[in-house]
Amino acid sequence: MTIRLLREPLLQFLVLGAILFALYGLVDKRSAEPSEKIVVSASRITNLADGFARTWRRPPSEEELRGLIENDIRDEVFYRAGRAAGLDRDDVVIRRRVRQKMEFLAEEISVPEATEAQLADFLSSNPERFRTEDRLTFHQLFLNPSRRTDTIARDVEQVRTVLSRGDATTDTAGLGDPFLLGEEFHAVSLRDTAGTFGDSFARQVFSAEQGRWLGPIPSSFGQHFIYIRERTTGSVPPLDTIRPAVARQWADARRTEAEQKLYRSLRDRYEITVEAMPTQAVLVARP
Amino acid sequence: MMFRLSSISGAALAGVCAASVFATTVTAQNAATDIGTLDKEAAEKAFPAKPPYSPYAERNFPTRPYFGDTHTHTSYSMDAGAFGARLGPKDAYRFAKGEEVIASSGQRAKLSRPLDFLVVTDHSDGMGFFPQLIGGDPGLLATPQGRKWYDEINSGKGAQAAIDIITSFGKGQLPKGFPTPGTPAYRSAWRETIKAAEEANEPGRFTAFIGYEWTSNAAGNNLHRNVIWRDNGAKASLVEPFTTQPPLGSPNPRDLWKWMAMCEEKTGAEILALAHNGNLSNGRMFPIIESFNGKRIDREYAENRMRWEPLYEATQIKGDGETHPFLSPNDEFANFERWDKGNLDLTEVKKPEMLEFEYTRSALRNGLKMEAELGVNPYKFGLVGSTDAHTALSAVEEDNFFGKTSSSEPSADRATHPFVKSEKGVIMGWEQTASGYAAVWAAENTREAIFDAMKRRETYATTGPRMVVRFFGGWDFEAADANQRMPARIGYTKGVPMGGDLNNAPGGKSPTFLVAALKDPIGANLDRIQVIKGWLAKDGQTQERIYDVAVSGGRKIDADGRSRTSVGNTVDIANATWTNSIGAGEMITVWKDPDFDPALRSFYYLRVIEIPTPRWTAYDAKYFGIKMPAEAAMTTTERAYTSPIWYTP
Repeated sequence: MTIRLLREPLLQFLVLGAILFALYGLVDKRSAEPSEKIVVSASRITNLADGFARTWRRPPSEEELRGLIENDIRDEVFYRAGRAAGLDRDDVVIRRRVRQKMEFLAEEISVPEATEAQLADFLSSNPERFRTEDRLTFHQLFLNPSRRTDTIARDVEQVRTVLSRGDATTDTAGLGDPFLLGEEFHAVSLRDTAGTFGDSFARQVFSAEQGRWLGPIPSSFGQHFIYIRERTTGSVPPLDTIRPAVARQWADARRTEAEQKLYRSLRDRYEITVEAMPTQAVLVARP
Repeated sequence: MMFRLSSISGAALAGVCAASVFATTVTAQNAATDIGTLDKEAAEKAFPAKPPYSPYAERNFPTRPYFGDTHTHTSYSMDAGAFGARLGPKDAYRFAKGEEVIASSGQRAKLSRPLDFLVVTDHSDGMGFFPQLIGGDPGLLATPQGRKWYDEINSGKGAQAAIDIITSFGKGQLPKGFPTPGTPAYRSAWRETIKAAEEANEPGRFTAFIGYEWTSNAAGNNLHRNVIWRDNGAKASLVEPFTTQPPLGSPNPRDLWKWMAMCEEKTGAEILALAHNGNLSNGRMFPIIESFNGKRIDREYAENRMRWEPLYEATQIKGDGETHPFLSPNDEFANFERWDKGNLDLTEVKKPEMLEFEYTRSALRNGLKMEAELGVNPYKFGLVGSTDAHTALSAVEEDNFFGKTSSSEPSADRATHPFVKSEKGVIMGWEQTASGYAAVWAAENTREAIFDAMKRRETYATTGPRMVVRFFGGWDFEAADANQRMPARIGYTKGVPMGGDLNNAPGGKSPTFLVAALKDPIGANLDRIQVIKGWLAKDGQTQERIYDVAVSGGRKIDADGRSRTSVGNTVDIANATWTNSIGAGEMITVWKDPDFDPALRSFYYLRVIEIPTPRWTAYDAKYFGIKMPAEAAMTTTERAYTSPIWYTP
């Protein structure tokens, strides 16, 4: 009800009017009273100049700096006047920004340098995060159905027969059709293979055994026979070779933990009551 | 069998060569003849007593394209935040890597397969404006504008607020208190952006570039550029992004280039910029007369533009920018995903005379003209596509389209909701284009390799599908090269790849091109490959011409180089399905320019067209059980555009 009320244009108008009234009142009052001070301190000016230098990698000219100061004063004037008028209260944007600030602060909680033992421990308890991918080196023989409209089934059978006797030395040059990405695939991961040939093809190839011709394996391009020359099984590298990555993830995990903890401890300070959900607020699932 | 095979394909080649002077096509379809059977003799041939036949072990050229997006916004972008984006840069990288995330609208979202790289490009102006920030400045709300936007967002009119923010931005009427470089709020947002990229970057597996968008929008006219670093965070954090609002920034690209030069010189970084959405610039993206000073562009402009902007984003969600029917009246594929009602915020309507300075093809043409005049071609750029998603989700597959903004994430009414509306016009939700991605021929998946490939323009744009496209130009390609086992090897040996240059035409020779495309492994078949040629004629006027060089289904290419038979259409709109019963999976051919004049500057690029497929609107209609407006397109023909190869006398 309250919310609906707030959406009423008339009420919005009245609220807006009240705010404007308050604002003008404030301005009037200010012009009558001795004014509040705005001091642009030397350190603030240094800050402004530093900001400029961060964009331009040079200090501002005097004129540029004067412009920055003028701008800063304008910011401050509106900021103070607005706050005095209560424009910052019950404001979603400000609420959200303050929340974000808290979250950033939590994230900025300086994480101490991890010890060797902490990193080793983190690696051994999260090996999957650091495991390298399995990689295959294979070559293929491709049969293109649109080059063999009527004979594809027969050709596949015949190639299969021929290759059943084949090995790595088999010269397949004249047996298959050209394929734009070639015949040789060197140290490719499951993900690379899926990107080139599609998911189910990649899965079949990666679960296949090494050292003999396999196929036909279908893809959306046609029929493939493949020969796996080499398989490198993924492994968890020793800490020495991946220390920066482990340290980064360790710090990230610490930060997430700290943020969770902060939220928990803050939340515990409040007694939270959630009223029953009004039925009309809930989406009714479609049958 | 081997003998028989070679003799038959030879005959097939000869036949095709005779059939067309223009295109010695050996597409899969055309060569679909009986190529013989495997017999005992052939089987014996297959087992020669010699070492393994593997000639390509030591190759060092790019063997596969990497697909990515050079243009994604997150909640750190002011307008994205206003539209409801809640996901930040970290989420954007996770999503691009193929992980499932919860979109800002609360729905689960996942790509069909991971991307290889991503650049998060939040707006430099007001970076961190919306949801962020450490040390934020609530003074913003003390302004009438800030107050108004707040009220709108608060009452569920976030989209309206966002449009207003964009409009005010275009008019340079932003409230004070807006985060600018140097403020803690700003610094923090930039630092978080860098951190997200550093954490997501996994050389060899996934590349996360550091970047931002310089959103120059003078009077609502889109002159946006994305800026990308080759380097890591140590160098990128030495500067803060260049903005467009004075006093710190400027909307004039010349000032961006000055800033880029300063950045490289002072920090030792290497950066590049790429522009997008000339279609919303109202004649200012590829000027001959500069909008900022009213003068004809000079050599300095041309040199800087060429130096800093090697690429152009030719297709994205806010419309396709290859060409326009007004500019290319003889191009039956030109009327594609047009956004030509006005400028970015629809505060000024489009006039036909603006179009020439907005589209890729006409810019490439005018570039030749400017080069003849200035000695430098300002518009010698390569092509990529990207999303410009403001959702942190690079999701532009037709059946998995998450829209431009969080308010246009999948819902029953997103198509019928106005996307931009002003007194001058309206762009409806259904007009959003589910496009595109950038394909880069790099030797490996690292920041350095992909960046370097972008610099040499070895890239192409796709409107979403991941087709593989090869394009090489040289003087000596012959029909048989199209039947090589590894076309790329002969391509790099005898010619230059897309983005390259040809000159010193050998006497009496015409340029030849090795042209090939392979469909997306999970996508639709290909209709045709076209060469688009542009040149500067003797009379000082530019021209363009289209050649169909490979067509599927054995269709005929006429003597004028065109195939006028349509590939057909298998789309079932009601069910949002299609079949690959038409078109070809792979096409490869060698093409020779039949109209070459060695005295004339020219360029050539490829356009690869897919068979018709359901557009995202058809998937939406099916999923939500709704009826789309009659004017909404329900099918699409996805495509790829390669970077050109230029010939300079």
